[in-house]
Amino acid sequence: MLMGRAGSGAARRWRIRPAAWAMTARCLTAFLGNYAFAATAASLTARLLPIARVEATAWAMILSFLLYAIVGLWCFAEARLARVAGVVWGGALLMGAAVWWIGVRP
Amino acid sequence: MIRALRQSMAWIHGWLGLVAGWLLFAMFATGTTSYFRPEITRWMQPEIAANRTAPADAAATAVRHLQRVGADDVQWFIALPDDRTAVTRVFEQQKPPADGAPRRRRAEELVLDPATGAPVAARDTRGGEHFYRFHFQLQLPFPWGRWLAGVCAMFMLGAIISGVVTHKRIFADFFTLRWNKGQRSWLDAHNVSAVLALPYHAVITYTGLITLVVMYMPWPIAANYPQPARFAQEAYGLAPDVEAIGRPAPLVAVAPLVRDAERRLGGAAGRIVVSHPNDAAATVTVTRGNAASVGARGVSATYSGTTGRLLSVTPPPGPAITTANVLLGLHLAQFAGPGLRWMLFLLGLSGVAMVGTGLLLWTAARRRPGAAPFFGLRLVERLNIATIAGLPLGMAAFLLANRLLPVDMAGRADAEVAAMFWTWGAAALLQCVRTARLAWRDLFALGALAFAAIPIVDALTTPRLAAGDPLFVAFDLAMAVMALALAFASRRAARIPAAPVRRSARKVAHA
Repeated sequence: MLMGRAGSGAARRWRIRPAAWAMTARCLTAFLGNYAFAATAASLTARLLPIARVEATAWAMILSFLLYAIVGLWCFAEARLARVAGVVWGGALLMGAAVWWIGVRP
Repeated sequence: MIRALRQSMAWIHGWLGLVAGWLLFAMFATGTTSYFRPEITRWMQPEIAANRTAPADAAATAVRHLQRVGADDVQWFIALPDDRTAVTRVFEQQKPPADGAPRRRRAEELVLDPATGAPVAARDTRGGEHFYRFHFQLQLPFPWGRWLAGVCAMFMLGAIISGVVTHKRIFADFFTLRWNKGQRSWLDAHNVSAVLALPYHAVITYTGLITLVVMYMPWPIAANYPQPARFAQEAYGLAPDVEAIGRPAPLVAVAPLVRDAERRLGGAAGRIVVSHPNDAAATVTVTRGNAASVGARGVSATYSGTTGRLLSVTPPPGPAITTANVLLGLHLAQFAGPGLRWMLFLLGLSGVAMVGTGLLLWTAARRRPGAAPFFGLRLVERLNIATIAGLPLGMAAFLLANRLLPVDMAGRADAEVAAMFWTWGAAALLQCVRTARLAWRDLFALGALAFAAIPIVDALTTPRLAAGDPLFVAFDLAMAVMALALAFASRRAARIPAAPVRRSARKVAHA
């Protein structure tokens, strides 16, 4: 799937196709970008939930894995790579900025 | 739409399972074994008899010993015995030297006889702790092993969810197992083992991630706590650390405190922490053992170490912390009695079977009749053999080494571990000189022989089996059953006919 098979010679056989770049980007988004997405979403939730901070922190941590798993699978279910990258990296950036702007719970 | 979703989920299910499959197989196998962690340790130290001392009395004997060897320590950590663990385990946190000399190395763990408090004389071994540690550290340095295990667990969670989406006939597959039909049979076996115990697989995977959640996902703590250490204090209801005063004061008798704590907390005591023993600021914290409730991280009571007055009891945690404790407890299963424990062990084996059949399915689905396998297929097949047939052989070597190495050998515990990995590694390499079919047959047969040898060697080298000790009888019977299962696997593997090799599978596939 990753390696091109369009060429006939041995030299051209292993040239990486654009589709391979797209798949690499998708995998990196699902693996690393998704971690940033889950971490910032969990941090924002923990910070904003109007309950005791220890409880808010624990709920956010417990549920973050479910979010990571579902978003990670969605990265492969959604055909449009731009949309995947936009939602995951963009979401992580926005939520991370929000966490930074709000600051640590006093 | 649904069709496209199913297809994408089937694709990702295959890749997630393949990439993490071999490590997941090892994690499932050693993790399932770890349901019997204390029992394995007891089998591996046949010199130590079962414990008959109550926790309070074991605490008293341990403190008596510690007063002799470490009266000026900063802290004593005492893990008390119960009906599954035969010894008292103690860690001393020693005082840093006053003259600014380099800190003494952290004291070794002391293993004490609960009845007398004397250090036990038994062969040096990692015991069941080895399989338990390998299960989530994969024999790699900290923190890499734990991160790798976490990635595998997350792949497993993704594979479970995508597997369920892929699946059209989740109810019918309960009852479908067609034997001797090649790929069809492996798919059926994969479905049966996965679907039958699906709630178990989902729970054990998610709770496994929860065990190390503070390491994998610490960011919510950073968002809420200027000092992250405060989170642990609030979550576990720990009393804040107190400083030593420096004025000596005798330590109260701990046994009455342990009994009082057991009454208040409603369960047998599991461990005690004595801070600043023999100082006026001394405290004694008694924590309930995990056998008393599903939730791990038992409640605790803290007493003054000089007067014995109750200072505090951990407040009942809120819903989120309770949820986390229950999830952790479900994974560790220390609440389970013998019946439930065996049930969980069998469910764990269904997980081993699910991962194993999934790996075999990957090769079965790509093999073309009468075609030479392409490189990827050969690689996956060899890794399958090395893992599925090689790991049991390595685990048997670990147990055999425990009985066959000289009892007082230096570095004995490490040599046992080395026996497992050298055997496993040698098996993984040497199988490559055989055809795949013969490699399967031979490695399974070697594994069967090794497991069959365990009860025999045990009977010849220790008196416990002959004395009819129930633990040793059950353990050795389980080894015999394992030997039979591997012998069966070896016979089955020998019967699969070798396909005549004509042309490359790739050419067939792309024809």
